[in-house]
This record gives sequence, C-alpha cells and structure tokens, in this order.
Amino acid sequence: MMTMTRMPTLAIHDFLIDLFFRRPADSDVGVGWGTDGLFIFIWWVGVFFFVLLMALMGWWAWKYRRIPGKAAEPSPSHNTALEITWTVIPTLILVVIIFWGYNGYLRAQMPEGNAEQIDLTAYKWGWGMTYDTGLGADETVPLGSSEVPVFYMLLKMSSQDVIHSFWVPDFRTKLDVIPNRFTPYSFRTLPLEDSDNRVQTRTVQIADSVRENVRYRDHWIFCAEYCGDLHSEMGAIMRVVSKEDFEWWKSVPRYGASTNPVEVGEKVYIASGCATCHSVDGSAGTGPTWYQVYNRPVPFADGSELSQAEIDADPLAWDNYIRESILYPAAKIHAGYANQMPSYDGRLSDVELRGLIAYIRSLSGLDVETENIPGFEQLDEAAESPQASIDAQTNGES
Amino acid sequence: MTTVDRGLDHLQGGHDEHHDVPYLTAKGGPIATVWDWMTTVDHKKIGVMYLFSVLFMFFLGGVAALMLRIELFEPTRQTAAGLTGAAFAGGEGSSVGAVGKFYNTVMTMHGAIMVFMFIVPGIPASLGNFFLPLQLGAKDVAFPRMNLASWYIYVFGSFFGVYVILTGVVDTCWTVSSPYSTSTTGQPQFIAMILAVFVLGFSSIFTGLNFIVTVHKLRAPGMGWFDMPLFIWALYATSIIQVLATPVIGVTFLLLLFERLFQIGIFDPGLGGDPVLFQHFFWFYSHPVVYVMILPAMGIISEVLAVHSRKRLFGYRAIAFSSLAIAAVSFLVWGHHMFTSQGELAATIFSALTFLVAIPTAVKVFNWIATLYKGSIALTTPMLYAMQFLFLFSIGGLTGLPLGALSTDLHLHDSYFVVAHFHYVMFGGTVIAFLAGIHHWWPKMFGRMYNEFWAKIASLIVFVGFNLTFFTQFFLGTQGMPRRYASYVDDFQLLHQISTVGSFILAAGFFVHLFVFIHSLVVGERAGQNPWGGLTLEWETDPVPLEHNFRHEPVVRHGPYDFESVVPPGCDEKEFPLPPKDEVRTIH
Repeated sequence: MMTMTRMPTLAIHDFLIDLFFRRPADSDVGVGWGTDGLFIFIWWVGVFFFVLLMALMGWWAWKYRRIPGKAAEPSPSHNTALEITWTVIPTLILVVIIFWGYNGYLRAQMPEGNAEQIDLTAYKWGWGMTYDTGLGADETVPLGSSEVPVFYMLLKMSSQDVIHSFWVPDFRTKLDVIPNRFTPYSFRTLPLEDSDNRVQTRTVQIADSVRENVRYRDHWIFCAEYCGDLHSEMGAIMRVVSKEDFEWWKSVPRYGASTNPVEVGEKVYIASGCATCHSVDGSAGTGPTWYQVYNRPVPFADGSELSQAEIDADPLAWDNYIRESILYPAAKIHAGYANQMPSYDGRLSDVELRGLIAYIRSLSGLDVETENIPGFEQLDEAAESPQASIDAQTNGES
Repeated sequence: MTTVDRGLDHLQGGHDEHHDVPYLTAKGGPIATVWDWMTTVDHKKIGVMYLFSVLFMFFLGGVAALMLRIELFEPTRQTAAGLTGAAFAGGEGSSVGAVGKFYNTVMTMHGAIMVFMFIVPGIPASLGNFFLPLQLGAKDVAFPRMNLASWYIYVFGSFFGVYVILTGVVDTCWTVSSPYSTSTTGQPQFIAMILAVFVLGFSSIFTGLNFIVTVHKLRAPGMGWFDMPLFIWALYATSIIQVLATPVIGVTFLLLLFERLFQIGIFDPGLGGDPVLFQHFFWFYSHPVVYVMILPAMGIISEVLAVHSRKRLFGYRAIAFSSLAIAAVSFLVWGHHMFTSQGELAATIFSALTFLVAIPTAVKVFNWIATLYKGSIALTTPMLYAMQFLFLFSIGGLTGLPLGALSTDLHLHDSYFVVAHFHYVMFGGTVIAFLAGIHHWWPKMFGRMYNEFWAKIASLIVFVGFNLTFFTQFFLGTQGMPRRYASYVDDFQLLHQISTVGSFILAAGFFVHLFVFIHSLVVGERAGQNPWGGLTLEWETDPVPLEHNFRHEPVVRHGPYDFESVVPPGCDEKEFPLPPKDEVRTIH
C-alpha cells in the first residue's frame, strides 16, 4: 500500500516545514502528503482567509472612518447570494480537510499485519519495553528500520497506574496509554540515510559479543498526558537501528558470565525507573532515599515502624521489607511520603529483586557476599545503560 | 425623550422618592450602604458586584499564570549540585519532584480559577446581569432573589475552591482526570475541591435559568424576537447551554465522590471502572461550556461593531441563528478531546461533527467584517478592542482546523499548540471582548467617562503582550513541546523565554487599564446619557440608570440597529446625522 510519497519540493514548503517542525517527519504517516502536508495545506487556507479578512477590516476602517457631521452612506444589510457563497466555499474546504485527516489517521491507527510487536508499559514515571526475548524493562528502545522496505513496528501499550500518552514528535503521532486496556501505537520509520546528519555510528558490546558500526538515530519520547509530579521528566529516547542490527541485538543473551549482584542492582535501579524517585546520595526525592538506610528503623505513615528490635531479631527483616515495598508498595508507606509508587509485581525477576536488595545494602557500606546469593553465577553486565545516555542528554553533558 | 443632563444631580444622593434615584445613590452611612448592596435584588448592583468579583478572580488566576511563566523561563535540570533553572526550588532538599508538585498545584490554580471562577460566569453574570434587563426594557430579571443567591453561591464556591487548592496542594489540573485525580490527592482535599466546583455549578444554573425566563417573559411591548439586540440572542443561547450542560458535570463529580467514598467502580480501573468514561462525562460538559465562554463575547462584538460603525449588522438573522446553531452543535463534539483515547469510528464521527461548528463561526466573522463596509467608523477604545477580537479570534478559529482534523491532531493533541489555540480563543476572544464590553458600557454603569488616550495605549500593550506570549506557543507545540510540563528540553528555551517576556508585557497592559478605571471612578468626566449613540434600550435610561431602570415602561418603535433612520436617544442630530430619507428608502 505504502510508498514514500514526498511533496514536490518547493523552497517555500521546505521553509515552512523547518519553521513549524524543525525537520520533515521521520515516519511514513507524518512525511510528505501525510500529517506535515495536511498541516501546511491548512496553513495556506488559514493565511488566505486571515489576510483577506484583515485587509478588508483595515482598509474599510480607514476608508469609512467617521467624519463629524457626515452620515454613513446607506448600504445593504444582507445579501443572500453573498451569504450562501461564504457558507458553501468554506464548507467544501472543510470537507477536503476532514477526509485528508481521516486518511492519515487510518494509516496511523491501522498497521499492516507484518508489524514487529513490542509490549510497552507506562508507569509513574517511565516507560518499560518488553521484547520477545523476555528481557526486563529497558528504556532505550532499539527499534527496527531497514533501508527499504521499511520495517513496521507495533507497540502494544498499557499503563500500570494512571493514563499516560506516548508521543514521538518526530513521528507526528501519539496515543494514550490506558490502565485497563491495550492500545496500539504503530509506525513505520524512515530509513537511516547517509544524508541525515542525525544518523550516528557506535560500537555495541553485550557480554562477549561486539558489533561495530551500528548506525542509529535517536528520537525523543514524551509523555503527553498529565500524570503528576514528574510528568515532565517522563521522557525517553527511542533509538532506531537497522533491522539486521536489531535482530542481532535481540539474539544476544543478556546475562552471560557471573557478575556482582550490586552491579546488577545498580543497573536495574536505573533501567527500571527507581532512579526517578529514589536517590542514592541522601538527597530528597519523591520517594525515600536509599542511602544509609539498610538495617535502620523505618517510621511508617500509620504511626507504626520497623523497629531496631525487629531488625536485630530477624536478619532478613529489611530484605523482606524491601521486597514487599517493591512488589506491593501500598502495604507500608514510609512516613512523610505519599502512596504513589506503582507495583513492580511481575515486572522484576527474582534475580533482579535480589540485585536491588544487594545494591541498597551496599549503599549502607555493607559488604555483599556474592556466592551466598543464588542465581548470580549466570549474570553479566549487559549492554551499556541506556538511561545513562538519556541523563547525559538531559544534563547537556553529552 | 429624556435629555442629556437629567439625573446628574441624583448622583449626590438624598432624593426622597425611593424608586426615582440612580442606582448608585448611597443609602445613608457606610454601614447602611454596604448592607444595602449585600441585600440588594437590583440586577445592576448584582452585575457590578459580579464584575468586581470575577475581575478579582482574573487577577488571582493571572498571578498564577505569571508564576508558571517564570518557572518556564529556564529548562529545569538536575545536576550533582542540585537544581538549575528552577524558580520554584525551595532551597536545600528540594528535588525535581518537589518543583513539579508545586508547578502542578499552581497550574491547577490557574486553570480552575480561570475556567470555573472567571470565564464561565464572567460576561453573563456581570455585563449580562446589568444589561440584559435594560436591553429588554424590563425592570429586573425574572427572579431577582435567585440572582442574588447566585452571587453568594459564586463567592462562597470561589473562596472555598481557592482555599482548598492552596491548603490541600491539589494538583489534579482543572480537568480532574480519573484515575490520576482519585489515586493521588488526599481524600479530604479532593472531596472539598469537587464540592467547590459542584457548588459553583449552581450559580451558573441560576443565572442561566433567570436569563431564559427573562427573555421569554419580560420583553418590552413591541419587542419581537427579531427586534432583540444580538447580545441578548447570544446570552439566550449561552443560558440554554448552562442549564442543560452544568448538571452533567455535577452528576459526574458526584459519581467521582461515590467512587471515592464507597469504592463503587465507575471510573477507576482498579475497581473495574473505565477511565475513558470519565473523559466522556467530563467533556460532555466542558466542551459545551467552551461556548458558554465565547458566545456572550460574540454578542458584545456584535453590539460594539454596530454602534461604533453606525451600521445595521450585516446578516442579523444569520448571526442570531448561528448562535443557536453553535449552542446545539456544541453538545455533539465533546469527543474531539479524546482522539487519542477512543476508538476509530468514534474519532471519525467526532472529527466531522467538529467541523460543523466551524461553519456558523466562520459565518459570524464574515458578517462582522461586512458590517464595517460603508459604515461611519469611530476608532474608540471599545471599537479597537472589537477589531483586536476579529484579529485574534480569527487566528484562534483557524488554528482549530488542524486540531479538528484527525491526523494532524494526533501530533498536536496535548501539545503547546492546543495551549496557544485555546488562549487565542478564550483570551484573544472572550477576554478581549469582555474588555470591549466593559469600555463600551462603562459610562452607563458608572456615569463617568474614562481617559480614552490611556485606555487605547493599554489596549495596544495588551495586544503586543498577548501575541508575544501565545504566538510563540504555536511553534513550541508543532516542534514537540507537551503541555503541563514544569521542565523541558533545551531546544525549546528561546521560544519559552519570548513567551515569558510577553506575559509580563501583557500584565503591564492590565495594570494601565486598572489605573485608567480607578482614575475614571474618582475624577472621570461625567458621561452623558448616550455617549456612543447606541439605539438599544439601555441608552434610553438616565446617565446612571434609576433603580427601576426606566421612568416609563419603554415601547419599542424601532429596531436595535436602525442607525440610518433614527436619531439616537439623548443625542443631537448634528453629532449623529442621518442620511437623506430618499436614499434610505431605496435600500430596503
């Protein structure tokens, strides 16, 4: 069905596209006669009517300005032919706009059957992606795009808590992510062309596998539905790579040789969004800090506490408290904080949970004995942390 | 016919005949005067009290808006040392989340005040209350006590609402979308906030009901439906929407309460409810209410353009019917707020219906411009504002097109483009028309003129400030800036800074207006009975209307816009000359 239709390139058209959007769309629904083209068409319609009306208003306001002692010239106060004309012509233009918009909408909403499907979970405040490799949450999304034919993606989206909205401005389309249903966000990205100065190259290493010259292009992901304190921080980067690189990326086992559980925990801390609310240096956040808290008493909002006596009596008291707080956050609320953390039940594996516990423990200066924690002999430091690259861009340090 | 200088003496007070004194005449000492105003059932006094109340709320909402613009001057970033660029950071220990929370609370203040406490009651309850009975030739509205009750409910609801938002740190936005609103805010504050809006709804319903009955039953002898001024037509259409739509938001908020209190699953998916259902209910009220905000403004523009260009309005009936058409269609388009959350079929239908509203709106604009043709146009302050309205409202209307079209809306939905669009319609439309109306009717309300020179300077400052603030936001939106963000990526900084500077110029314009008004009230020149040469019935009253409005029951003998054949009441034919009689005959 789809070929990449590009508008005839007029200098003024390119100028308007740059003015309004900075650059042409990077998806098939946006580019050419799609969203961008319709927007520019509406812009011309608007400019025509606006200039016409304002010119008449200014001209008449000057020409018929009040002159003392002079009466207004009598003039008709209605004209049926004129009134029918100025009703019918705009109506016809509106019909064109309705169908043009409808056509683009169908292309955005109804993907063809061969789309690569990825599960997307939104939560306060981050995005989780699950690939069919069964990997855990990961914010940077290497999405497929090959030269030609262009590769289809379908995100099956759902929300853990409130309504969010998934928006990639470069793709010119967004869709709400709703708690009680799946919604489909589909798109076909444009190829990674050499002429595009945003296309970059890097070397990717996952475990022992190394792949060089991986070409990619980054796009901002924003949450467009108000969702609370960190709504404006709920951004992420979508990384478009070629289909071949994507297949390789999926096929490499994440966790290879054994590694330090603290490092696994630190990775999960960033990749699963814990870092959005919990600091590791003692600074305040939306949730309590993790710095120097392990095995210390915790006051709860209902007046009770996890007391030093309980901690001393049970060496796993704090571990169980962490586990419960991650899987069932509403069970015990830390005094001074609101009950707003989403549940991670089903989203973290046992290994990841243990890693987090080890990490929190290490933040209190306590050693972790790797060999005592089952499961870690199979772990490895996976690819570089995607969140780090987002942080780097957010902080302007890249 | 009354004469120009009659009634000026009555301003000084002390007239024995109760019903014959201008309504502003003091009733004895300060306490007696305050008591008189607090217990009045005079629609004019209630209109003035409403005017000052809504303007005060506009001030509060404006302060909140400026706070938002200050925070948005720089993108907030978190560094190892702390936050940079955050105006709202509260010293050590403050985090991105705390800044976000504060920003969201101020944003909720801005939205809730401007929508529920300023722009919905704004024009109908102040200028409408004052001039609807006068233009109809009536002594008062149909239910004067209900009118006073409406004001008390409004004041109570407003103060309660503002108090709750401030003390309860309510950050739900004015849209209180479920499940965000029900899952985050503390229960007592949330319930209090819902109740405040619920109570405010009654003040709206009371005003609407009053106007409908007044228009039907209290028109002066000789005034048929098509002899009514277009301001009345607009208020009539508005009132119908108020009475029909406001109960829906009341019911919706009650359902939210029941869900919250008794754990009945209606909107909350955790209880088996549907969050999209809430949006349907909410917008079924909140979209029609957009026309409650704009229709009275359109009515004012019709009056001001006709009087100040001394022209019969072009296509009177088309404008009157388009008000009713807009009111009717307004109930069918709520779904265009949910193109990104509803099914394909619904979105398609709502997109087509949305464009139906565009047609009567466009027809109105064409009629207004055509009215200027061969007029006798005086560039007074109200007229300048009316022309600003045509300029800004046209931009607001035309930028609605890419939001109504489905594919472009998928990109622009919930972006700054939407923010800019509705500020062009609501501020560039309604607030600018409100200013036109206040300047048009100020001499009749307070019996004094204002300094035209400084009022025009202020209107120019407002125009420049407004466009700097909001025109930039169209580009922010198309380039990908989502709305309701406390921080943003660096790319957007320049446009945000221009917008912030513009907002302070805008505020400066309003302060000039404030001084012009105060100056007028204190030392303004006495206004005559009919300074602009209007033909509607309010200009037949004394310079300051009497308590019972008219000395004798007025009888309507000419249309509201017969400028070519009638010398305006209280005016000199030399100042407002008529064309030769034979020319007039040939036209009709």
